Amino acid sequence: MVAAVFWKSPQRAVLMIRPRLIMLLGLGLIAVTSIVPALREALPDWVVRLPSEWLLEPAEPINRFLAWLSRRAEIGPFEVKEITRGLAAIIEVPLSVLQGVLVKGVEVPVPGGEVRLAALPWWALTAALALFGQWAAGRRAAGMVVLVCFYFLVLDLWDEAMLTLASVAIAVMVGAIVGVVLGAAAHRWPRLDSFLNPVYDVMQTLPVFSYLVPILLFFGFGPVAALIATVIYAMPPMARNTTLALRRLPPSISELASMAGCSPRQRLLLVLLPAARQGLLTGFNQLVMLSLSAVIIASVIGAGGLGNVVLQGLKSMQLGRALEAGLGITLMAILLDRLSRAVASRRPSHGRATTGWKGHPVLLGSVALMLWGWLMVQAAPASGAFPEALTWNSGRLLDGFFGWVNVTFADSIGAISDGFVRHLFRPLKAALVALPWLGVVLFVALLSCLIRGVGLALGLTAILTFIAITGYWDMAMTSLYLVTISVLIATLIGFPIGVVAAQNARLGGLTALVIDTLQTLPTFVYLIPVVMLFGLGDFPAMVAIVAFALPPAIRYPMDGIARVPGSLIEAADMAGCTRLQRLLHVQIPYALPEIMLGLSQTVLMAFGMLVITALVGTRGLEQETLVAVSKAKVGEGLIAGLGISFLSITADRLITHGAARLRRRLGQV
Amino acid sequence: MFDNSSIIRCRKIWKLYGPGAEAAAGLRADALDDDYLGGHGLVPAVRDATLDIRKGEIFVIMGLSGSGKSTLVRCMTGLIEATRGDLFFGEDNLRGIDPKRLIEIRRHKISMVFQDFALLPHLTVLDNIAFPLRVQGIGREERLARARELTDLVALKGREDRFPHELSGGQQQRVGIARSLTTDPEVWFLDEPFSALDPLIRHEMQDEFLRLQATLHKTIVFITHDFEEAIRIADRIAIMQDGRIVQVDTPEQLILKPADEYVAEFTRKIPRHRVMRTGSLAGPATELASGSPVLASALIADVASRVLTSDRPVPVVDAKGAIIGAIDRERVINTIFAHGAR
Repeated sequence: MVAAVFWKSPQRAVLMIRPRLIMLLGLGLIAVTSIVPALREALPDWVVRLPSEWLLEPAEPINRFLAWLSRRAEIGPFEVKEITRGLAAIIEVPLSVLQGVLVKGVEVPVPGGEVRLAALPWWALTAALALFGQWAAGRRAAGMVVLVCFYFLVLDLWDEAMLTLASVAIAVMVGAIVGVVLGAAAHRWPRLDSFLNPVYDVMQTLPVFSYLVPILLFFGFGPVAALIATVIYAMPPMARNTTLALRRLPPSISELASMAGCSPRQRLLLVLLPAARQGLLTGFNQLVMLSLSAVIIASVIGAGGLGNVVLQGLKSMQLGRALEAGLGITLMAILLDRLSRAVASRRPSHGRATTGWKGHPVLLGSVALMLWGWLMVQAAPASGAFPEALTWNSGRLLDGFFGWVNVTFADSIGAISDGFVRHLFRPLKAALVALPWLGVVLFVALLSCLIRGVGLALGLTAILTFIAITGYWDMAMTSLYLVTISVLIATLIGFPIGVVAAQNARLGGLTALVIDTLQTLPTFVYLIPVVMLFGLGDFPAMVAIVAFALPPAIRYPMDGIARVPGSLIEAADMAGCTRLQRLLHVQIPYALPEIMLGLSQTVLMAFGMLVITALVGTRGLEQETLVAVSKAKVGEGLIAGLGISFLSITADRLITHGAARLRRRLGQV
Repeated sequence: MFDNSSIIRCRKIWKLYGPGAEAAAGLRADALDDDYLGGHGLVPAVRDATLDIRKGEIFVIMGLSGSGKSTLVRCMTGLIEATRGDLFFGEDNLRGIDPKRLIEIRRHKISMVFQDFALLPHLTVLDNIAFPLRVQGIGREERLARARELTDLVALKGREDRFPHELSGGQQQRVGIARSLTTDPEVWFLDEPFSALDPLIRHEMQDEFLRLQATLHKTIVFITHDFEEAIRIADRIAIMQDGRIVQVDTPEQLILKPADEYVAEFTRKIPRHRVMRTGSLAGPATELASGSPVLASALIADVASRVLTSDRPVPVVDAKGAIIGAIDRERVINTIFAHGAR
């Protein structure tokens, strides 16, 4: 390309291209020096790895600081501890009430003691949920609700499922309020937005494990800590979607609010938020799905529920039980997604009054049903129990099956796994770990300068240097190698599928359905079958990461190619292109920015799953965060977590800015 | 030149966009030439606009996109603040006005119709129309009663319970119009209200708009990029180009005496006999004139057949019946057929 410019107008091209040319040369130089072993050995040691006496060791000070903050620090007349514990107590009230109503029963203080009220009977809740499903998404959704409820009842997972549901419900409530408030504030004050955005980036990419322990320090051990971790993980999309939806409103809506003489409060509550409802509900759907995902993960710190069943099952090799619970989580995820999506896409329609309870006889009915069932069960407690004769447990059956699978296929699975590890995993890992840290940092800096500018280069240099200077570089490269391999494989599988599916409407529809379903599943679920089939180690981790990261690798190429304007396709056909030529010269180039965005999503998803694969024994930064949970090493966990977060932010920034640059060049603004 | 009947007075309004726009506010007006603006990266959306809007008139601001017409109207309504210049609404100067006072003015004295309708998607037709009253804290029954009156006025009866997405574009804009009339404002701003509609519907809505105005007698500021629309409805038209007001005049005067080539270009395609009135075409009164007279305020198009079928000139009378001149075949024929000649 450079040569081509020289060719056209030699004198001007030299002047124009010079800084870029130098940077390109620099990139090549750094790459060659870093990769060729002979050159690498000539470098001073500190360029390859920082000597240990140069490293900062912030873990210990962080530990001391957090310990001080959580035990002794005071803000005004209050200790921080009192404030955080107070907050925990406030959140705990609705959570324990909901858990009580759904599962445990409620103790109500009355004069002269306490009365214990039984929990809602299963039949009332099932019927009420089915009614809600019917209202939100029609008869088939109602049927699905009933089926899912019976799945939990029959397999004796009802209590666990309801505990999970209660946690999700409260987390969604808190997350929705916080998210909308922050989102609206960021819309109002753009400065706040530019501060919050990177914070959200970190919140979304920071491994849950790394902040579980700090939360325990402040909020105490228990369901509330899990809840707060969940909100941290799941809230950012709600806030972001709120800001985005408000920003996307046509300016006339805001002008209307002014011209009608709205006060600032009226403007937000009566005009902007309701008008942006559709966008808010998109965020709400994501909030629900991420909350479920996080609630399951939080079982690691003893939040009960379905996640705990899976975890215990995996630990004690009762794989059947783990699979039952895992399937239950899957069903719950699909159902929650379906319902929250249906609520989001409801449009008001005339002839249906929309104000007050009168407008919603079905909802009123379901509430009445629950109340009636609750009263019934107080009178006759036996009516609340699901008949034992109807329950069933796969018990040893499934365990036996998996045992058989493992024994029978052990050799072939082992051979495949061995082959991957020997010929792909180890060489790549060795190559990445051998790279000099300074070379990588400079390479990224120069590249980001080329793609975007000095600002990005400085930011990325800072966060990568942070990893090196805290002494986690080797672990970071270990994490990176697993992600790189997984992304590579996911792209190799996903891209062809996407391309083929884009050309065929029927196949496209089917593919979309499958990946939509896959995408709703919490990360944890992916580990179950993988562990059952492949055991522990990097290979099963890779399989789980590929499976989790596959949907965007398929979806973005598919959508990108399907979105190529019809006139371009016709132009290609009229020029006499064969199908292959059309694909190579028209469709893929046009869809390239979209395909790159897909790559960045794939990378982000891969990092998201990587964090969880620590549970099957990988060795990178993610393992450090998990160890931090078990050994309560707060500082180490946070820094290692930040390391993962920084790695994924770096990858994401490089790819998305590259895509944006390409998009501008193609004139698709 | 102070006009007592003016309800809005713009005095040397400038609106600049770009870094340092505030600094330019303090400069002398003649310093703000193209060199200064270009050199400082400032974009002048409105430059030195001065005009009066009189009570009860339909004042049209016409210009192509980017001419500054929307910006000027948003200055008049306080939606954006002018960089320099004064803007009086009645007794209030909108520059530096107390926000509370501005809210008062908007709640009671002015209202606006938007090009893209700006209906609230979550409210029914009736609730949308009643919205400005809701903001004022007026009770549900009262405001819905008022909204029902307006659904009759804009011919939306029977669709009160629909939601905006269930209506056609024309119907949606009827809701927008009804909503802007809910508070019975003194000045009615319409920002390209019919531009998003199909040509047939647009014409129908213009008719209806004129019918409404015949009963309401509001002061109207109407923005359009469509010169024919402007000619059709305006009492007076301001033509804007690159942020400047090029000419402010009646439709007839614009055609007779366009201020420059730019204005003339617009008027060229307009059939003159549909704009010009008998009075401005009439020659001196003559003995030869005979037959029943025509009104000076009548359009040539409406009297053409009368004049053309008469052998002699036809006398022209003013509203009181006094003869002010005469009009003959030749003048009418020239008007009808010579519109490309200028």
